[in-house]
Amino acid sequence: MTTLTFITKNALRNKRRALLCILSVAVSLFLLVTLLVALREVTVPPEDIGAALRVVVRNKISFTNPLPARQRAVIERIPGVAAVSPFSWFGGKYKNEEMMTFGQFAMDPKLIRPIFGEAKMPEEQYQAFEADQTACIIGKLTAEKYQLKIGDRLPLTSIIYPCSIELKIAGIYEGTIDDRNALFHHKYLDEAGGSDGWVGMWWVKVRSIEEMPRVTDSINRAFANSSAEVRAETERAFQLSFVSMWGNIKILVHSICSVVVFTLMLVTASTMSMAIRERFRELAVLKALGFRRRELFAFILAESFGLAAVGAVLGIGAAWVFYTQISIAKLTQGIFITFEVTPKIIGQAALVAASLGIVASIAPSIAVARTSVVDGLRTLD
Amino acid sequence: MALPIKYNIRNVIVRWRATLATILGVALVVAVYMLVQSLAVGLEQSSGNTGDPRNVMIVRKGSTAESSSQITREQFRLLPYLPQIARDSQGRPYVSADVIVLINLLRRDLKAEAHVLVRGISPVGMKLRPQVRLVGGRWFDPGKREVVVSRRLAARIGHFEIGDTFKTGGKALTVVGWLEGGQSAFDSEVWMDADEARSLFYRENYSSVLVRARDDAAAAGLIDRIESDKRLPLQALPEVKYYSAQTMTAMPIKILGDFLATAMSIGAVFAAMNTMYASVGSRTREIGTLRVLGYRRRTILLSFLIEGAFLALVGGVLGCLLSLPMHGYSTGTISFESFSETVFQFRITPWLAAKGLTFSVIVGVAGSLLPAVRASRLPVIVALKAV
Repeated sequence: MTTLTFITKNALRNKRRALLCILSVAVSLFLLVTLLVALREVTVPPEDIGAALRVVVRNKISFTNPLPARQRAVIERIPGVAAVSPFSWFGGKYKNEEMMTFGQFAMDPKLIRPIFGEAKMPEEQYQAFEADQTACIIGKLTAEKYQLKIGDRLPLTSIIYPCSIELKIAGIYEGTIDDRNALFHHKYLDEAGGSDGWVGMWWVKVRSIEEMPRVTDSINRAFANSSAEVRAETERAFQLSFVSMWGNIKILVHSICSVVVFTLMLVTASTMSMAIRERFRELAVLKALGFRRRELFAFILAESFGLAAVGAVLGIGAAWVFYTQISIAKLTQGIFITFEVTPKIIGQAALVAASLGIVASIAPSIAVARTSVVDGLRTLD
Repeated sequence: MALPIKYNIRNVIVRWRATLATILGVALVVAVYMLVQSLAVGLEQSSGNTGDPRNVMIVRKGSTAESSSQITREQFRLLPYLPQIARDSQGRPYVSADVIVLINLLRRDLKAEAHVLVRGISPVGMKLRPQVRLVGGRWFDPGKREVVVSRRLAARIGHFEIGDTFKTGGKALTVVGWLEGGQSAFDSEVWMDADEARSLFYRENYSSVLVRARDDAAAAGLIDRIESDKRLPLQALPEVKYYSAQTMTAMPIKILGDFLATAMSIGAVFAAMNTMYASVGSRTREIGTLRVLGYRRRTILLSFLIEGAFLALVGGVLGCLLSLPMHGYSTGTISFESFSETVFQFRITPWLAAKGLTFSVIVGVAGSLLPAVRASRLPVIVALKAV
């Protein structure tokens, strides 16, 4: 019998316990991966390909305060600016739904391709959208969720504008990081909403990465000391400003992660010591046969490490398969979009599993080291 | 004939080393569940605490929160003449139009940003909200760029000490006092003069109107009157009802709590199972003896279930105790209704504790069911022979 088979046989001598131990490690690691992925998605929101060249301009007071439409001409004249579109969040509830389930934004329809180049849609749908002022385009996820087709009506009631509107779906796009939003003509909003002359934000496309800092700076300076001071920042910085608004929720999830890890350690360590205590006599026999302490420690460590490793493969693997195979956007109604299990998270979870294997073997090893051969032989289970 | 419960309890205590880890495991699961749910409870309580039963809140039809509502001055001018509205000793109606503005401010670390709700309020509006008290400094003077901030918000936002100034929209505002909202939604607000707020933030319209009805019947009449008036695209509802509906933010927290509890309890059930199997295994001879003495299988099954439930209950109690120090601790996140920083407290209620304990007992029973079945099925002779 080789050392390896000896360790395997030992680990599996009580199959039920080994299984329970592996399963509890697997469940805990699955949970840990889920929490880490969710936390990453909330704190590091997924980034669109075109985001690097986009600048978001909002009212300096906060994004809920509108900006005057006259600012557009000023921004367009700034060197390095390729395109400027108004971008107003409509805050509409679909049909009779209680909550908003997707975003709707009013913008300049001609500027969708220059600014949001990653949205893919057939040419004739673009043309149909541009031609009809009551038309809108929607993301694939929303279309699938409500089973909407081209030509269908999209009735929306706004929570911020004093109006309800009915849009005609002219196209369905895909390819952005979050294919849920609806986009429609800003002119239509101006006429329906009675907020003519005001927009929510400006979204600006900059010609090259090198010009980004200068352009954002120029936009900020252009409206300094005016009645509507602005804050221009990269799309990324704008997204991250939402993250900081989550406040203490991040700390909460972090502490939960640590509690999960701690509980996991506790449970596995106790199972391991149970398994070792059960065969104190055998270990004493091994000692009497001339095995040294170092070798006994190695047996215990290998067994505990092996159980943790199998649990880790099961738990992390299940999380990886589950979150890559199913559409998490559909499952969570769009709260989470990508839910990507990154190599870094897999590494973190594997590290937890490895240290778990080591920590769990400490207590039994100490117990074995302390007991003399005679005492060990005398133990009755 | 039932085995005395003392037998099971003593068993748990005798094997304390083996059971300690399980108890701690269950305790941590229960503690996590309680803490997350106590956040949801705190959020709900803070909105439930808000408002005066005599007041009626008026916002634009279709808007879900004051901060996204708009009431034009023409609409507002019609309201004070409604006969259902109470009047003070000088005959002036209790009507107050407020302006709500959300502003970006730096947090206390002066790095991250938060979204803070500023309420432009009139002297009548302050009278209509008697639960708000001044706890430091003085009230703002009308017509000056002065604000009174919530004391609890001051613990989270930078430059909110009395005497500090902060800039918004290019203008400086001075903090002259701290208010205390009695653990209501007002604890997340900054108050200033309504007209000053309108000129400072270039607001033509008001956000909401708060009125006091003469009595309950008048309140119902007033709500009917406003809802049925075609000229007014407004909706009216009791202030208390308006605030108690603002609990959307609590939903995801509740879901998170339930998800965590479910996932973690699966792990805890495995742990309890392990402990109970070991407990059954090392007591094989004892069980055989009990059977010989005439105890029935059913009794033994029940006794092990009780033992598992008791074990987990001890963990549950410990979990409750672990979560208790957080009770009343103030925390904050963004509200999904007002899009602004909401301050609230961890609230551990007896009802929540009862839920946590029930939960722990379920974990205990689920974990000990299979081991108990095994114990009850042990053949007597084999059991007695076991070493």
